[in-house]
Amino acid sequence: MSLDVIDDILHHLKTYLFHKQHDKMIRKRVYSLSVECLDNILKHSDLNKEEHELLISYPPRFIVEKIAENFIIHTGNIILNKNKDAIIPRLDKLNNLTIEEVNKLYKKSLANAEISAKGGAGLGLIVMAKTTKQKIKYDFEKINDKFSYFAMQLNLKK
Amino acid sequence: MKGLNIPATEKSPRVLFDTSNYLFEIQGNSRPENGRDFYFPIIYKLRKHFEKIIDKKKIEAFNEKCFKFNFKLDYFNSSSAKFISDILILIKDFTEKGLNMKIYWYFAESDEDMKEVGEDFSDMISMPFHYIMIER
Repeated sequence: MSLDVIDDILHHLKTYLFHKQHDKMIRKRVYSLSVECLDNILKHSDLNKEEHELLISYPPRFIVEKIAENFIIHTGNIILNKNKDAIIPRLDKLNNLTIEEVNKLYKKSLANAEISAKGGAGLGLIVMAKTTKQKIKYDFEKINDKFSYFAMQLNLKK
Repeated sequence: MKGLNIPATEKSPRVLFDTSNYLFEIQGNSRPENGRDFYFPIIYKLRKHFEKIIDKKKIEAFNEKCFKFNFKLDYFNSSSAKFISDILILIKDFTEKGLNMKIYWYFAESDEDMKEVGEDFSDMISMPFHYIMIER
């Protein structure tokens, strides 16, 4: 996935939300969660040629679903197994925190965050937990010894 | 004008650093392709300017007026949040060194999250913000 594709998706999403979602706050939350999800997908998309072939069976996934007044965002991307081992404890930790604790962690992380070589501040998952106020559902499917497919589901309730 | 005047793009905010009018203003959306490239020169420029005032012992003259920081952001992504927090920490540092500075945090009437994030930032640097609600 490239930056241009992301810009294009976000542009369409903005138009869709403008017409389908009148609550400005919800509109903005869906947009903001989508940016974080797409940034994550992009961050993990620098695969080499051989690994690129995996994309045919395991393409990046980004789906925004509106059910009544609620939104569900589904994402999926190939991830290195070593990164998976780093993400799982972070997700589990977030899912075990109360909203107040998530907010506290966000403030602490803002002050201490380091920008990675890929430009991320490591705040994306915390922002997702903070914005949805729900547990982040996730799943990893093993592809081979090096890669897994990382699927995530964010629920945004009105 | 000494300072900065960076026009807004679809992905990056307008940034105005007007030293003669004692004003720093950041306005719009922030989702730059490379946050580091966008924010580092801004943070560098701010730091250099305020360091010069302290080094030249011009604090008293500087403090005859109050330097205003206006944050008028509509949207920013999580990596921009990190750089915004760097700017706020810089403001706090120079306030502690004796410079007279105030932070104004603007948010749209419909955007309670933007107000909340302002409160988070204010908590983080232990400095009061002046909140201004704008109707949209």
